[in-house]
Amino acid sequence: MTSNTFKNIRNFIMLALAQVLVFSQIHLFGYATAYIYLIFLIKLPRHTSINSMLLWGFTFGIVVDIFGNTPGINAAAATAMCFARKPILAMFTHKGLPDDFIPNANNLKWGSYLIYSGLCILIFYCILFILELFTVGNIIPLLICIGSSTLFTMLFVIVTEGFSHNKAKA
Amino acid sequence: MQSILNFLVKHNHWFLFIILEGISFVLLFSFNSYHGATMFTSANSVAGNIYSFVSDIGGYFNLKDENEALLEHNRELICQANAMREELRQYKDSALLANSSYTMQPSKEGFYFNTAKVINNSINRVNNFVTINKGKNDNIGQDMGVFNEKGVIGTVYQASDNFALVMPLLNSKMQLSCRIKDDNNFCSLKWNGDDILHAYIDDLPRHGEFKKGDVVVTSGFSSTFPTGIPVGEIVEFTESSTSNFNSAKVRLFVDFSTIDNVFVVGNDGKEEQKALEESITEEQ
Repeated sequence: MTSNTFKNIRNFIMLALAQVLVFSQIHLFGYATAYIYLIFLIKLPRHTSINSMLLWGFTFGIVVDIFGNTPGINAAAATAMCFARKPILAMFTHKGLPDDFIPNANNLKWGSYLIYSGLCILIFYCILFILELFTVGNIIPLLICIGSSTLFTMLFVIVTEGFSHNKAKA
Repeated sequence: MQSILNFLVKHNHWFLFIILEGISFVLLFSFNSYHGATMFTSANSVAGNIYSFVSDIGGYFNLKDENEALLEHNRELICQANAMREELRQYKDSALLANSSYTMQPSKEGFYFNTAKVINNSINRVNNFVTINKGKNDNIGQDMGVFNEKGVIGTVYQASDNFALVMPLLNSKMQLSCRIKDDNNFCSLKWNGDDILHAYIDDLPRHGEFKKGDVVVTSGFSSTFPTGIPVGEIVEFTESSTSNFNSAKVRLFVDFSTIDNVFVVGNDGKEEQKALEESITEEQ
């Protein structure tokens, strides 16, 4: 338990630095920004209590917000995503799984894992961009931002999963 | 009673969820109005120091361009100084000739300049911000003007001890008081949120004659900037048939994607001017 917490904190710091220093600076075609810290939240063990999920999401969000000068926006979106994660994960949990597991492409199968993470990320981006762009009130750029950013982040989900998938086989 | 308590305990995650979302929204909405809240922006000391470290590393890569720009700016300053010296000499001569009974008072406006370096910058949002590496300890405070050798960048939005957050022209909340060079009608410049090269003026007086290529400069009325700092040039001019104002599209001189070294301008007389203007508002 303790070593797990330490591992989580170490991953948290590394992911947060990578996020704010590298990934937050990339705006693909002016629309898509990948928030790779979501991968951390998606891959928390199934039985992580909702309360600690919420706190992880909120803390991650607020750190990214502070560095990006967008107070509250990431925090609100990530907290909401963490709140919605449990019911979404329950949809894809089948009987062959151990009681407590970390969601990945091995135990959920690729299809289910991608839909599960895609749904979580879509919820996150919907809230994020609605909060960020609602003053402008233009629906087309909003949809482009949500769609392209979701796809861009999914790319990183697939890449990380591909790496750990191969490692598990070898 | 017991069942209510049970209900509360069972659904405690709902309360945590609502509390956390509540905090997020308070931050989101208070950021726009409460100017003291530097703690939750990249002007706080931890974020500022990390950004400044990374920017130190990145700074070496464009030293060459920066140097050329500085040389160019130096050259212009020398030219200006020469021109002013010449002008001063002429005025002195004419003053001697006129032998007037009063002596000219030096201007009360005390602008002072400070240099700073950009350590974080965004251009892809609707409300962009720039973080610079000087703050209150270097006499930088709220509402001071920020510009570089090409033109106006923005105004200081919040300042912590060692860092400051600048609201650039590329922020939908920014409004800059300016005028067309060689003309005294003032107008205000706003950005519409998508194109980082252009901003808009939509309150040009109808009676003025403006055309493509006219240069837009700061008005100097707001006491944030001295008058005459370049902002951009008019690239499109639209005459309105219905309202009293014409509008213009302005190409900004500053390339916001490459800003690095900037000047911050403070004004000694600003407090006095502000206090005077506010006292009038209060009386009304």
